[in-house]
Amino acid sequence: MEQVQEKQRKEEFDASEIEYVSYGGEHHLPLIMNLVDQELSEPYSIFTYRYFVYLWPQLSFMAFHKGKCVGTVVCKMGDHRDSKFRGYIAMLVVIKPYRGRGIATELVTRSIQVMMESGCEEVTLEAEVTNEGALALYGRLGFIRAKRLFRYYLNGVDAFRLKLLFPQPEMADRDDTQNHDDHSPREEYSELHRHL
Amino acid sequence: MDRHALHQPSSSSSIPATANTVWTDASPLLEVACKDLRDGELIHVDNFNLYAAMSALEIMDPKMDSGIVNRYCSVDEAIEDGVAPVPISTDKTTDVQCVIDIMDHLLTCEATWHKGHSLAQTVFSCAYLLRPERTSSHALLHSYCKVIRATCKAVITVVSDARTHEEEDLFTMAYGLPLSGDGDEKCLSLLNAVEENISRQLRACKAPSSKRKPLEDIEPLQTNFDLEEGYCKALLCRLRFRKHFFHVLTCMRRPQGRGLELARKHIASCISELGVILKSAEFLMSNAHGTCEDATEDRTTASGHQAIGFDASLNSRISAPTPPRSIKILSWKKAIEYFEKLLHDLDIISSYPLDPSLEVLLRFVAQFQKAQPDLVARAHLQLLLVQDGKLYGKCPMFSLIIRAARLPEVFLHHDIQKNEYVVQLGQLVINMLKILCTNAAWQRRKLGKILQDWRVIYVQIELAFRKDFGEGSSISNGDNASARILKHILIWVEEQTYWISHRFLILGFELELYSPSEYCMVYWYLYVVLIRLAEKTHLKMTVSDGSAKQKGKKRKDSPKELARDAKIPPAISFLQCQICLAEGLTVLLAALRNELMVLQSPSPFNSEHERFIQHFELLQKACIPDNISYPSFEESTSYARFSTLAMYNYFKDAQKIAKEARSGFSNDPDRLAELRVLEQVAEHNSIALNVICGVGALDPSLKVSFEFIHHPCFATVVVKRS
Repeated sequence: MEQVQEKQRKEEFDASEIEYVSYGGEHHLPLIMNLVDQELSEPYSIFTYRYFVYLWPQLSFMAFHKGKCVGTVVCKMGDHRDSKFRGYIAMLVVIKPYRGRGIATELVTRSIQVMMESGCEEVTLEAEVTNEGALALYGRLGFIRAKRLFRYYLNGVDAFRLKLLFPQPEMADRDDTQNHDDHSPREEYSELHRHL
Repeated sequence: MDRHALHQPSSSSSIPATANTVWTDASPLLEVACKDLRDGELIHVDNFNLYAAMSALEIMDPKMDSGIVNRYCSVDEAIEDGVAPVPISTDKTTDVQCVIDIMDHLLTCEATWHKGHSLAQTVFSCAYLLRPERTSSHALLHSYCKVIRATCKAVITVVSDARTHEEEDLFTMAYGLPLSGDGDEKCLSLLNAVEENISRQLRACKAPSSKRKPLEDIEPLQTNFDLEEGYCKALLCRLRFRKHFFHVLTCMRRPQGRGLELARKHIASCISELGVILKSAEFLMSNAHGTCEDATEDRTTASGHQAIGFDASLNSRISAPTPPRSIKILSWKKAIEYFEKLLHDLDIISSYPLDPSLEVLLRFVAQFQKAQPDLVARAHLQLLLVQDGKLYGKCPMFSLIIRAARLPEVFLHHDIQKNEYVVQLGQLVINMLKILCTNAAWQRRKLGKILQDWRVIYVQIELAFRKDFGEGSSISNGDNASARILKHILIWVEEQTYWISHRFLILGFELELYSPSEYCMVYWYLYVVLIRLAEKTHLKMTVSDGSAKQKGKKRKDSPKELARDAKIPPAISFLQCQICLAEGLTVLLAALRNELMVLQSPSPFNSEHERFIQHFELLQKACIPDNISYPSFEESTSYARFSTLAMYNYFKDAQKIAKEARSGFSNDPDRLAELRVLEQVAEHNSIALNVICGVGALDPSLKVSFEFIHHPCFATVVVKRS
């Protein structure tokens, strides 16, 4: 019941109050499961959670606010066919009162950072074509929409397969020439995107 | 198994032993084992690890256990409980009303199934269908169930045969369902008999009472005389729809398109009956037995009543092996709309004149796909196009290739058709045609994958050509037909490869795969591909014209004819118009990026280079085109500034070309329509460009956006003042 109320109001907090924690063990599992069960429509068995957090604990993160778990990301990585070492983002959840404040971006960024440092060549995930928030988030991180998957979800909704390609080692010199304009006027940039 | 046994204490086994099995209660053992395991521990062996555990069956959790007992353990138990009475009511009027409701709900189930849900949870959620023998005493219900089963079977066969349903594989799953009821193939004769009877009942009730003779009295359909006409008509249109629909399916499956003309007639009848079905709603709703439960748009029957005999959970154990999910059945109105669209799409297929020209065929398929036809229609198209390894079951691939390469008909029987590469090329064409009939998302992926095959075959044929005929590039008149054929084929293969690449790129727009910050590189690549495509197409045309000329045709070479020869073929103009649009958009986007720093996407993890590689990976792998890479893109667009744009308006060029090309397409309404749209985009963009350059692009109140309001691929530039 309190969860219903929480869904309707936005939580006031400062970004610095959010604590990001790497998956630490069995005691974290129920927190993750509750969050995901609550927010996502696909039911997962406990074995699914265990598969991810046991084999890749370093890739799962949680966000805490005043001792309460408000967000989580669950991932894996490994050899894919055509022998690409690839990361995969399985679940990403932030409870509604805490959305829109960059928590999800921070969680995902941490995970991708570990993937990159572990030698992944790319990162991938699926997202509903209607999930504008997720598409914008991942778009900002450099993911492209690699494929569209027809009726991927059982409710008939299509999905995009999103992929992030890390710069390959042999192009290390190129990186210098591509100076990302960190000072691009964000306002204008987001304005343009609002139309699309 | 007695479901209550689970709740009883584990005393002596409550399940009787049989010859082969003895049951024992394992609960105490499981309890001890559970106590022994700590949280997070998993019993595993080599072939059962964490990954495998993800597919574990979780029983007794309604969210995860599709076998969990809902209400009934089996269909028979449900039937015993009275879920599907036969007859439905002893009162004939109520019985008729309920049968109509069942017919309507079955239609919505069928449409829901076509739209991507499992047969078990939709059409076969009807208990009457699951036990075919039970309805035999009720002629109306029995014949209707038979035709439904036969129709489902026919549709599954079409989709199965097409084998394009990899993403839609739920569709053909019919395990455990009685699809082939005994005598279902005779369903139409039964249906006709029932239809004939009801027609007589209709005539009888309309005849003036004085003329009705007791001896010729047939038993009326139902007991309320005032409603007899309405119910007879309501039933007749539903029965006739099913009859004609079944005929459509049969006709369209006839080989080599022989049944298409007849199919069109049945399609017209179907559409007409659907109209009558829709109109019957008013009568059915106002005379529904009891109170009308649901007059909303969501109702699944015309009357608004819930149909009797349906329970989606009846087949939960043979449904898709995923956790149980209830699905939403389409509304009755939406179901009718679905069938109207399906019939319309089937009609387009049936009206296609089976043109032996590949060029015409490709345009037809591309145009057809714009209406986003569903699986059933697409499967029918594919089966029409490719039968027995031939086009329409009659044109060999070699003849298709010869014509596509604009070689004279005399070569249709040339021995080179046995050449292994030419045979392989034929296979590639078949594969391409099949792919073009799939849904856009699947299609784009496959088109990208086959690019390499087309590139490889080109290289192979070219090597074979060089080996056999040396480096000479002139096509001598008459002698060495093989050389000439291969030469023409090579040009055509290149053109076709660029055609596929072009389609691959533009489908990305329709599928919304590009984000605005990527438009610049996409339009740039599109521009590069279009130029090559136009080159190859033009080359193909001039080479074949050239050969024709060399054949010694006496040409008068009057100024008029010279002028006509010098005129650019309409197909090329069409491409040139698109080239100008693509170039214009590329340069505009690049200028915006260079001058205003907009539409960039700084990412912490990668750069535009990586995104370029990803989007165009399949094209690059196939060297389409050669020597094109991210640095080429960077170089081409780094110079773009608003001052450059002010000097050269590509959109104006596009507009001009589009206008001039109109006359070349006077016989082609589809292309004419597209040309008009391209012209519109060019016009809008030209004006927008003038505004941007004129006003001064560095005016911060100016907002520029790219919207697909006219054309699905070429964006219209929208300039607003905030």
